[in-house]
Amino acid sequence: MPIYFRDKYLPPIWQKLQLGERLSLEDGLILFKTNDLISLGKMAHYVQQQKSGDAVYFVLNQKIEHTNVCVLSCKFCDFAKKKGEPDAYEMTTDEILSKITPEIKEVHITGGMPHDWRWERYIDIVRSIHNKFPDADVKAYTAVEIDFFHKKFKLPIEEILRQLQAAGLRTMPGGGAEIFTERVRKLLFPQKIGAKGYLEVHKTAHKLGIPTNCTMLYGHIETIEERLIHMVKLREAQDETGGFLSFIPLAFQPGDTGIKPKNQFTSAIDDLKTIAVSRLMLDNIPHIKAYWVMLTEEVASVALNFGADDIDGTVGQERIAHDAGAISPMKLAKDKIIKMISEAGKIPVERDAFYNPLNVYSENVIGKIPYLNSVPFYHNLEKSATGGFKILPVAPRRMGMLSKEGQIDAGLFSLMDYFDQEENLELLDWCIATRDQVKSVMLFSKEGWTGLNGKKIGITDDTATSVHLLKVILEKKYNVRTEFVRLHPGVNDYASFDAVLLIGDDALKYNKVGLNGFELVFDLAKEWYDWQKLPFVFAVWACKNSLSDIRKEKLKDMISAALNKSEDEYGEIGNMQGRQIGLNLSETKEYLEGFNYRLGERERETMSMFRKLVNEINIKV
Amino acid sequence: MNQSLIYEKVKSGLRITREEGLLLLQKEELLDLGEMANEIRYRKNPEQQVTFVIDTNPNYTNICNVDCVFCAFYRHAGDSGEYTYTVDQMIQNFKRAAANGVTTVLLQGGVNPAIPFEYYLEMIERTKKEVPEIHPHFYSTTEIIGISEVSGLSIQEVLKKLWDAGLRTIPGGGAEVLSDRVRKKMGHKKGTAEDWLDVMRQAHKIGFKTTATMMYGHLENDDEIIDHFERIRALQDEYHGFTAFIPWSFKPGNTPLEKIIPNFAPPMRYLQIIALARIYLDNFDHIQASWFSEGKKIGQVALHFGADDFGGTLLEENVHAEANFVNKTTVEEVIQLIQDSGFTPVQRTTLYEKIKTYEFVQAV
Ligand code: SF4
Ligand code: SF4
Repeated sequence: MPIYFRDKYLPPIWQKLQLGERLSLEDGLILFKTNDLISLGKMAHYVQQQKSGDAVYFVLNQKIEHTNVCVLSCKFCDFAKKKGEPDAYEMTTDEILSKITPEIKEVHITGGMPHDWRWERYIDIVRSIHNKFPDADVKAYTAVEIDFFHKKFKLPIEEILRQLQAAGLRTMPGGGAEIFTERVRKLLFPQKIGAKGYLEVHKTAHKLGIPTNCTMLYGHIETIEERLIHMVKLREAQDETGGFLSFIPLAFQPGDTGIKPKNQFTSAIDDLKTIAVSRLMLDNIPHIKAYWVMLTEEVASVALNFGADDIDGTVGQERIAHDAGAISPMKLAKDKIIKMISEAGKIPVERDAFYNPLNVYSENVIGKIPYLNSVPFYHNLEKSATGGFKILPVAPRRMGMLSKEGQIDAGLFSLMDYFDQEENLELLDWCIATRDQVKSVMLFSKEGWTGLNGKKIGITDDTATSVHLLKVILEKKYNVRTEFVRLHPGVNDYASFDAVLLIGDDALKYNKVGLNGFELVFDLAKEWYDWQKLPFVFAVWACKNSLSDIRKEKLKDMISAALNKSEDEYGEIGNMQGRQIGLNLSETKEYLEGFNYRLGERERETMSMFRKLVNEINIKV
Repeated sequence: MNQSLIYEKVKSGLRITREEGLLLLQKEELLDLGEMANEIRYRKNPEQQVTFVIDTNPNYTNICNVDCVFCAFYRHAGDSGEYTYTVDQMIQNFKRAAANGVTTVLLQGGVNPAIPFEYYLEMIERTKKEVPEIHPHFYSTTEIIGISEVSGLSIQEVLKKLWDAGLRTIPGGGAEVLSDRVRKKMGHKKGTAEDWLDVMRQAHKIGFKTTATMMYGHLENDDEIIDHFERIRALQDEYHGFTAFIPWSFKPGNTPLEKIIPNFAPPMRYLQIIALARIYLDNFDHIQASWFSEGKKIGQVALHFGADDFGGTLLEENVHAEANFVNKTTVEEVIQLIQDSGFTPVQRTTLYEKIKTYEFVQAV
């Protein structure tokens, strides 16, 4: 439904959002000040759906607070104790390991900063957890702690992070950001690192391939401007590195911290506004978290309609928030979280620390490839009544995995995944195929094709089809043998490779701005076309064989209607996403017009030819 | 039938049908529902204001022979913890309340056949005379039916006598969900849905103003919720006797229903009900959200989903407390909660006349 604004200052902002334009600090002020909560929520929900569809993520996580002994004394902290105080504690590595159970997928480690721990002890915690529970991603140490290690152990930040990474650290929590202005820092936590230090630690982590999260502590003495300055600084850092996974606004809990804000607890309206405004301001951060432990379950579940697409998880031992009087019970069972998300009308998606979906707890889920080239299908699919289907954006490779476990009912499958699961899938009449070139599966290379013999190629984690296409071209067309190395999800240092294979929006973006150090750029679809004189088919629509006939018919009608509707407005529907990659309206239009979305005779011919070639090669990554 | 057509109807002031109501309840996105509700809320009450009343909810007896399965409050005569206060005791109670600024006493009790009709009349007369600051808002329909049975007078005669004693408003509790299937399942020994409506109808005819309530989140289905709306909307067309509609979710603690329904209905449901009530009950002047029944935070959110009243401050409350659901506030806090939600707080009477307007404070 369109938005019927009650606040006349909002429509110009809505205009910007629909064009994919970035909001200014002044826009942020208008959003915070509006009394038209519903319209604010609808705008944020719109952006949330563009980014995450109907998905709301949670993780089976365990929080470890290895010690509450801390050399600092931040004013708002009623967690820290001094050594020797009666309830001060320090956990041994064994004690820590005994707290973790095998089903845990993310271990979140933060704690106080005692003066007498050795550096090895911190490394050992990470290594021991990683070794004993390889399925659990270790998310450890806030920027404040990293900075403390840096000063105490006299090691460069980068070195600290490298050692932790080598021990098994996968991601980092976002704590310690508080509010990024000197005024607030001096008043409340003069001993903490402040914006510059915080962002430096995070950016360094991103460059090493460690994605992180970021936070903001609100509801104490900060002004609205200061909240927005905070968000803008995070947005700028994200422009540089792209390594933040999520933003978590944390409602201040006064408890016995001695700080007396106006209210005992932030008002629900403030909580919801803060979630919504952060979704709108932080256009480059993928996820916004409604941290239920602090917000209360009730507000967190409403927040899932106000821009939040993550609800944290089954946190075991949430001591910092609990000591200060959070209302929520300590441990919400997984079922309870699933219920909370379903009641908000969303798809509960269990994730890992990188936001890869592991389990999907809903029926009638359509997987959505989040690339610009599939917008012609999904744009109007999302807008029309979805006939009881829900939409889950997921990278192609993940979609294959979920579908294999029966967790996805339909979607655009990467061609290799379709081959793999052909027996269980019904092929529908649509696809993503090229006309000639495609610009979104690109090899960025330091060498020409034959020069790549014996070299190392970094390949995207996202889809098997492009990897196979590259291999087929290398081996069958050019007779070249290479080594494939999988790229990390998140951020990467590409310099160590001789070539990298990128797909989707990344490929499109770097094709436009260039990828430093890689002079040659090959379009794989064009290579295929010149060779086979056939279009290339990247993905095909398919649904579970077991779907009822009625659902199948409904699905086909929906896809067909959505595509027909999109065909006259390629520029417009792709514009928002196109802009984020750096394409203007006519470039977006031209790019989308380069695809054929209907599975015809020639596309089917390609499918069999490609299947034959793939069977002749042998892929190892 | 689709949602945007319904919205067009709502915008042009047309009444929605049962089918449309059901569609909205089951299919409409939460925020779209809120948006539609606000359309009506601001048409009826264009100011960015939210009213509240300073009131108290004492009880004169907890002895009751109705045995509702959802009730954690009642005792049988002779049970430990049973009580029945004298009129004198209650008047003292009201005086203390008046000294604290209370303007409305919402008085209810169990259905206790040992209490004579005179007691009820005397309570009203003495309150009017001895504590004139207080507006008596006494006796639910269940008690009125009980009085009628014990005294042998018709409902109409009972109501007439209450009116003559000086009572002008009656609380709307006891409606639960107006469906005989649900009421039977919940073990209501007294009063069908039609009985509740009939007491209200007769009261409105005499000139009483009452509220209408709904307690949901137990054994009812969506159809029955719409049915409830439909029945009170139809009655409102006859005499316009309802001042406001007040929904709340069932609190299962310490009730026999606890085993079947272990949890409260979720907050989403409350917001949907508030919004849908605002849309459906187009002949009601006010929809009341409360800080009390769903918590302060969700109460605040509900003010953006079509509610324009924040209920009472409830200085004394025993019924929910018996279900282990305790929520306390002060007048200052209620004012602050309303201000933080982005509205000007206005103190009102039981009849929704404005008494005092507080300042508007820019939220956040
Ligand atoms: S907030 Fe962290 S750094 Fe500050 S005193 Fe507490 S535990 Fe120590
Ligand atoms: S709800 Fe009222 S009528 Fe029912 S048992 Fe409780 S006191 Fe009696």
